[in-house]
Amino acid sequence: MATQVIMPKFGMAQEDATILRWLKREGDVVEKGDVLLEVQTDKVNMEVESPGSGILRGTLAQEGQVVPVTQVIAYVLEPDEVLPTSDERGTTVVTPTPASPIKSDRRVTPVAQKILAAAGVDPSSVPSASPEQLTRQDAEKFLAQQRMPNDTQSIRATPAARRLAGEKKIDLTLIPGSGPQGRVQARDVVKTPDAPAPKENVLESESLIDEIIPLQGIRRTIANRMQASSQTAPHITFTVKADMTAAYAWRDEMTALAKVEHAPTVSFTALLVKVCAWALMRHRWVNASLHEDGIHLHRAVNIGVAVARTEGLIVPVIHQADRLNLGDITNRLNDLATRAKSNALTPDDVTGGTFTISNLGMFGIDEFTAIINPPESAILAVGRICKCPRVNEQDQIVARPMMKMTLSADHRVMDGAAAALFLRDVVTALEKPTILLW
Amino acid sequence: MSEPREITYAQAVREALRQAMQRDPQVFLLGEDIGVYGGAFGVTDGLLDEFGSERVRDTPLSEAVIAGTAIGAAVTGMRPVAEIQFMDFITLAMEQLVLQAAKMRYMFGGKARVPMVLRTPAGSGTGAAAQHSESLEAWFVHVPGLKVVMPSTPYDAKGLLLAAIADDNPVIFIEHKLLYKTKGFVPEEYYTLPLATSEIKRKGKDLTLIATSVLVARALEAATQLAQEGIEIEIIDPRTLKPLDTAAMIQSVCKTGKALVVHEAPMTGGFGGEIVAQLCASEAFDFLDAPIRRLAGLDVPIPYNRELEKRAVPQVADIVREARALVRGEY
Amino acid sequence: MNTTNGVGRNDLSRAQLNDALCKMYQIRLFEERAEALYMQGKIHGTMHLSIGQEAAAVGACLALRADDYILSTHRGHGHCIAKGADLNLMMAEFFGKEVGYCRGRGGSMHIADVDGGNLGANGVVGGGLPIAPGVGLGIQMQKRDQVCVCFFGDGAANEGAFHESLNLSAIWKLPVIYVCENNQYGMSMPFEKAFAIEKISTRAVSYGMPGITVDGNDLSQVYQATTDAVARARSGQGPSLIECVTYRWRGHSKSDRQKYRTREEVKEWQARDPITLLRAKLVQVGLFSEMELDVITQEAQQTIDNAAAFAESATEPDPASILDGVYV
Repeated sequence: MATQVIMPKFGMAQEDATILRWLKREGDVVEKGDVLLEVQTDKVNMEVESPGSGILRGTLAQEGQVVPVTQVIAYVLEPDEVLPTSDERGTTVVTPTPASPIKSDRRVTPVAQKILAAAGVDPSSVPSASPEQLTRQDAEKFLAQQRMPNDTQSIRATPAARRLAGEKKIDLTLIPGSGPQGRVQARDVVKTPDAPAPKENVLESESLIDEIIPLQGIRRTIANRMQASSQTAPHITFTVKADMTAAYAWRDEMTALAKVEHAPTVSFTALLVKVCAWALMRHRWVNASLHEDGIHLHRAVNIGVAVARTEGLIVPVIHQADRLNLGDITNRLNDLATRAKSNALTPDDVTGGTFTISNLGMFGIDEFTAIINPPESAILAVGRICKCPRVNEQDQIVARPMMKMTLSADHRVMDGAAAALFLRDVVTALEKPTILLW
Repeated sequence: MSEPREITYAQAVREALRQAMQRDPQVFLLGEDIGVYGGAFGVTDGLLDEFGSERVRDTPLSEAVIAGTAIGAAVTGMRPVAEIQFMDFITLAMEQLVLQAAKMRYMFGGKARVPMVLRTPAGSGTGAAAQHSESLEAWFVHVPGLKVVMPSTPYDAKGLLLAAIADDNPVIFIEHKLLYKTKGFVPEEYYTLPLATSEIKRKGKDLTLIATSVLVARALEAATQLAQEGIEIEIIDPRTLKPLDTAAMIQSVCKTGKALVVHEAPMTGGFGGEIVAQLCASEAFDFLDAPIRRLAGLDVPIPYNRELEKRAVPQVADIVREARALVRGEY
Repeated sequence: MNTTNGVGRNDLSRAQLNDALCKMYQIRLFEERAEALYMQGKIHGTMHLSIGQEAAAVGACLALRADDYILSTHRGHGHCIAKGADLNLMMAEFFGKEVGYCRGRGGSMHIADVDGGNLGANGVVGGGLPIAPGVGLGIQMQKRDQVCVCFFGDGAANEGAFHESLNLSAIWKLPVIYVCENNQYGMSMPFEKAFAIEKISTRAVSYGMPGITVDGNDLSQVYQATTDAVARARSGQGPSLIECVTYRWRGHSKSDRQKYRTREEVKEWQARDPITLLRAKLVQVGLFSEMELDVITQEAQQTIDNAAAFAESATEPDPASILDGVYV
């Protein structure tokens, strides 16, 4: 029998995914477990495996299309089996509630009969709350579910919600209603981000456009999250310079040890993760996030490390970095970087961060300011290490490897002093790494 | 301007009558038992002594001719203020009010004036049962040519009655028996409040509550209770039902997105329906974030039994319940 | 006692009689013309014709000053003309024209001439009765010496308003003259079936006012009775009730098939045409020659022709003005 291929849900908060490409085509013979297609969630690319063996049919969704999770995107059929009609298919796969079995002698109340007859619906196809009888409520519920999802007229929404949706150019059908019986209220529309502003002077501007990249997947996620962060979190920023002379020496020592152990070379990034993890343990307000019920101070220190890719930035997370030694951190960083570049990260790899480090030193950037990655409360932007003049304790000007770092912190969560103290400890640890042993 | 004193609603009505009569010799009173007796609710008490039986005229029990006499005197140059002892008995004067007073000017091509006021106490709450408790304002609002005024406070009662007497149209002035003893600040001197101006009796952001007559006071009490729950309701009293000033209520609903219309008269065919319709047809429609609801009297003759009588018309607890449900979306 | 020209106990001057006959003709001819125009479809709605009752309307109004008031009835064209209305404006109102007495808002049943003392015809049987004491009270309280004639029919005499009105006018001694035109039918209900008394005027006793029944087709009788009542009213002695026994020649309204009475009955009453009776009397006593009376008739005819022409050519009300006059 026909097996549905649905858009899988990979992460807790995931609502949809973009179809990147089909690896199998309409009519291909597939085995259970074969990779059928590749999809992109807001964080990662994932492969969707075939749920059965047979012939792939009814591949509805096109490449580049955004599909809600659980929606049917294809079928795997037995040979000679016909594709289910659109009625049987439905538009979304609703987790089937264990409906009570329909009894053949089930009573249909006169009002229900009238309602269903007016809608041209056969009562035997309508589920009922009670196996004994089909009531008006059952009929109305069924008919409500049958409505075309894009028919805004039949959406239950207040006039105010309709007006706001019109003003914001938002499709009402996409907004979950919080009012009685799922009615879309004005507040529901207010919470929904605006649709992109309409293009003005389409003819003129179109001639200047070379290519339009749809805002989807990671790009869309980044756009939404960075805009939200920038608009809601009051950012305060602090810049410091660290003398990396000791850190260089320390890294050289570690590199030498690694050679003996046949372990990978320790990077400055790994060192930064270790230093930040140590400092975060001492400054819990920096390792926090703001929620409706208050400020959550996290037990774990999970440090995200921004990785640049052509498709878009991704931030794999080193969980419980405070408990890992440098070798473990290095291994984990290498693993994540490799998988990030081959789109092989899992949803767990990219969730749960409590603090982020973004290092653009390798691109020759001296210093920059980063936008906090919500729901985190701080991000450390790291520039390159270069030799700069420094006045030493003997008042001599000497050339030293210096690194500039800028911390962006959410002022709602912490004050400037808390952020400054954290940053001071980071500098101290980089300049005197042995303190980490303290 | 002198300091306003606190006087009762009945005293405010009386003061308006007195000042109108002092100012204008054409103003006179007629009605049943308004002279020596002082009116069934004591409203005209003392006016006979002050103005004499020429201007404070006790009539026989003849409601039709009380109304008719007011019309005839008005059209020939007087400014009569007639009293119908209970609004229920206005039924006996309907022909004169509806077919004569209301239409005379129009029928005659705008060549007559009927500057009369007909005062009458309405409403339940006195245990007088079905034939002495009516709230019939909706009937008169439906008649072009009549104005209908329904004050809720002593201040409004005085200013609106003086405006009604000065108006050149027939005005039905509906008082409420339960309000007669309520007190409020009222300036001593003559003043009028323009007919067709509503008033915001309380500011709020969560719900617009439009109430008339005695329900304004109950709504204010309900609002105080709801404020303790963090629900702030805005209360608007139209004061004049016809002509109706909708500007403030429309503006308010645009702000709150929710409206509750409250009156004592039975729901079906009640004046609240008119307010709802006006709101729906206005720019407030696009701001509605919930259905407009009505809270009104039950469709029942007013019963005698105390509890049944209370149950028949909205009480404070009913307003609290309805308003809360509407604000919380639990309707 | 009756030493003069024989038309009325008190002398009616030649000029008054000329005017009275002219008005009776105008009423007759106006209503005949209106009826014809109605049947031609030029006037719509309905109308209640008073043909046959002219002496009552004219006789009563002849006893009034120009500044006295009347309250009229649905059968009110006669009262209106008798009180001195401009026929052009009246006919224009029948045509629903802007220049009509009521700017085309009232029509036949609501013609009023407030400035001329006509407080309006009334579509409600007995509708004017409760208003009459008010008019009397307005006069009394403003210490003026006008009076108010309240016309009503035999049908209205059985409305409750009759009782309330006469009682109040009596207790307050208001200057009101109640003139009941008993034309024998309240629509189809004959007088004999609607009353257990022979004369409506006897009801006056119940209210403590004088009551008299006169021949309503005899101008002089109506005039005399009204003159007496007016004198009483003006001198502060209060109201009176006058019953004018008369007959309506036409049906109740334009849709009446008159199944409730016989042609013979109508003919009997037509033999006592108030206009013919007055003409005969005027010739008999030698006040007017037949030729002079023909001139009066022709003049009346001329005014009606002029009125119809004026009305037909007058302009319609501006639809945008529909709400004018609902409120001041």
